[in-house]
Amino acid sequence: MTDFKISQWHLLNNDKWLLSSLTWIPILLALSIWWIFSQAIVRDLPVGVVDLQRSVLSRQLVREFDATSALKVDHTFSDISAAKNAFIGNKIYAYMIIPKNFDRDIYIGKPPKVSVFYNSQFILVGKLINSAAQQAHGAFNAQVGAIKQLTKGNSTALNAFAKTVPIRSQIIPLFNKNSNYAQFLVSAIVPALWQIVIVVSTILFLAANYRVYGLKKMVGEKPLKNLLVMGGFYLPIFLTQGVAFLIFFYTCLGWPMEGSLLPLIFAQLVTVIACMIIGNFFFFLTLDPARAMSFAAGFTAPSFAFMGVTFPVINMNRLAEMWRGLLPISHYIEAQISQVSYGATAWVTIYRFTPPMLGYLIPLLLILLLIKKHLKKLEVNHESI
Amino acid sequence: MKAFELVKKELKAIFTNPVITLTIFGGVIFYSFLYPLPYAEQIPREQEITVVNLDGSLTSHQLERMVDATPQVKIVKRAHSIREAKAQFLQGDVRGILLIPKHFYRDLLLDKSPTLSYSGDASYFLVYGTIAEGLAKASGTLAAKVKVTKLLMDGIPLDLAKEQYSQVKLNMKPTFNPTLGYVSYVVPAVFVLILQQTLIMGAGLLGCTEKLIDGYWNKHSALTIITIRSLVFVAIYYLMASYYFGFSFDFYGINKLASPLIILALLAPLLLCSTFIGIFLGALLPRRELVTFVVLISSMPLIFSAGFIWPLESLPLPMIWLSNLFPCTPAIQGFLAVNQMGADFSQIMPQWQLLWLQVFVWGTLAYVTYRRAQRIPIRFQETHTN
Repeated sequence: MTDFKISQWHLLNNDKWLLSSLTWIPILLALSIWWIFSQAIVRDLPVGVVDLQRSVLSRQLVREFDATSALKVDHTFSDISAAKNAFIGNKIYAYMIIPKNFDRDIYIGKPPKVSVFYNSQFILVGKLINSAAQQAHGAFNAQVGAIKQLTKGNSTALNAFAKTVPIRSQIIPLFNKNSNYAQFLVSAIVPALWQIVIVVSTILFLAANYRVYGLKKMVGEKPLKNLLVMGGFYLPIFLTQGVAFLIFFYTCLGWPMEGSLLPLIFAQLVTVIACMIIGNFFFFLTLDPARAMSFAAGFTAPSFAFMGVTFPVINMNRLAEMWRGLLPISHYIEAQISQVSYGATAWVTIYRFTPPMLGYLIPLLLILLLIKKHLKKLEVNHESI
Repeated sequence: MKAFELVKKELKAIFTNPVITLTIFGGVIFYSFLYPLPYAEQIPREQEITVVNLDGSLTSHQLERMVDATPQVKIVKRAHSIREAKAQFLQGDVRGILLIPKHFYRDLLLDKSPTLSYSGDASYFLVYGTIAEGLAKASGTLAAKVKVTKLLMDGIPLDLAKEQYSQVKLNMKPTFNPTLGYVSYVVPAVFVLILQQTLIMGAGLLGCTEKLIDGYWNKHSALTIITIRSLVFVAIYYLMASYYFGFSFDFYGINKLASPLIILALLAPLLLCSTFIGIFLGALLPRRELVTFVVLISSMPLIFSAGFIWPLESLPLPMIWLSNLFPCTPAIQGFLAVNQMGADFSQIMPQWQLLWLQVFVWGTLAYVTYRRAQRIPIRFQETHTN
């Protein structure tokens, strides 16, 4: 037992689960996430209409809704209760009601009220429907208003338009020009998954070492050095995964990248180390891989929610921000966005990213203490036998 | 009597196994507080922006005040040029920019429709959406005001002018989650996934633990063990689920539109099926940590393909088929429909039937693999009885 040397290649050869968690599983996960969001933009959400007027004007309004990219008015209902039923049954995401006397009220200058009930349980869908409806409504208003101005006979077309739309606005989504959801979600979800993969693979390789070589041989006389040697074997694999997804996003898929990859690779290197420290910490807490994995699940599974890419960080409470600070990936994602979107200089990114990451030296210290404790216990047991 | 003895043994096996209790009880309770934590404020507000006012007129200042008054946006900086605003943005001081062009007021009076431009950081989805919403609201209000003023100047009485600034009024009614709160959006769906995943882990960990040592589980038929085990887990998880759908939903103020009976009916196939998947994984995987591993890495693809974050209409069709192999997909859709949107039970029949179909398929798989695992002799390596 004491004769043969520790070989990670030997372990990889014999543990197909460890090998899988390092190779095809992360690739498959990243691709499946990309595939889910591959349509990138939400189009043609089914929407219904209850048109109680059925006139040229009301159809024009319906056409304006249908013309937005987000909506597709493909259900027509003759009464409100039928529409409501389809709405609750999730067949349509919204329905609008065009009231009776719609035309007459427009002509006599008594604006009719068009109601749109939309599903806000699904927030993304709700927000898209809301803005599409506003857009369609604005377009319809401008057209009808301009025609009304023109019929008065004392204004030019441009003038009539300006009277109806006194202020125009231009909304510029910075860094994600066509609100591509794939770009925005996938580039955050995949790093979150990467963090999970690093932490759990670290536990798996520690478990494999423990199973095959035992604690004493695995950490030896100099635990820190042996841990570094062991980690050093796997670190390039994790870093390759990280670089691979960056290349996939910004070269293969051609998503815009304002900064450079070098500071990001540095950030990834530090993130990998931090995640491996966490994996080590969970493992050496009990030396039981199953319990370590449960801790890892509790710690990493919800990290996407805390990254702040969907729900903004400034609206999180103190406790949430504290938990967020513990997750390596939430520091990494800021570095990634600062390079990818803002094109910040390498120095700024590194300068902002590095100090909080130094905090992961604390669990490293704890790991060494835990190892000492486990070794001592082992010796006591040994003596008692 | 035999069955009763077995139930007792199962319960003992579950409650004396620290990994299982940590996972199912610790996990369920820990997540019930951790998951909603980042969203505790419900809606994003007061996004910080900078304003570049190149006009300086009274109206432009009025617009600034209107912007600041919206709950969505807060002006924290001002800049004298676009370049300065950009610098503030890149420094991370602000997340959006409002640009009021030169001659804004003059163009407004001359009927030349000046263009306001505003921008937000679209790297963060809700930040951008919130800023755009707040600024659009403020500029819409100003536009309406300008129009009313002009109508008044044309000699139209105020009451009429107030009505006539728009041709058609749009009345947007957010339904089922009227405040667009984030907790009410995420929690009802994610909690279903948590129930499924921790249950799979619990049943799987138990199965994997048994492989290492001999015990009552090898002395009865696979069918008996699976039946008793699934009943025990379903019973425990009925309690967990009532904690989620009862206490937690009340705690976070989430809709509870469905009657408890419907919830119980929908839970039955979800919990049964999850137990079967757990038994299947436990029989299939060689080591305990791998059960947790498989469940953990599957969570993100499952949640994003369930149809509540990303609409089903935009998902690739094969992905929908794949996601429908797992109970959480129809279960999330079913629970959202009955509990959040007030659908009838008849409206979620397709989901309920799919769940029972899954119960059958996963049950068969669990039986086949578990029976095979029972026949494999015990590997006397290390005994993980702790």
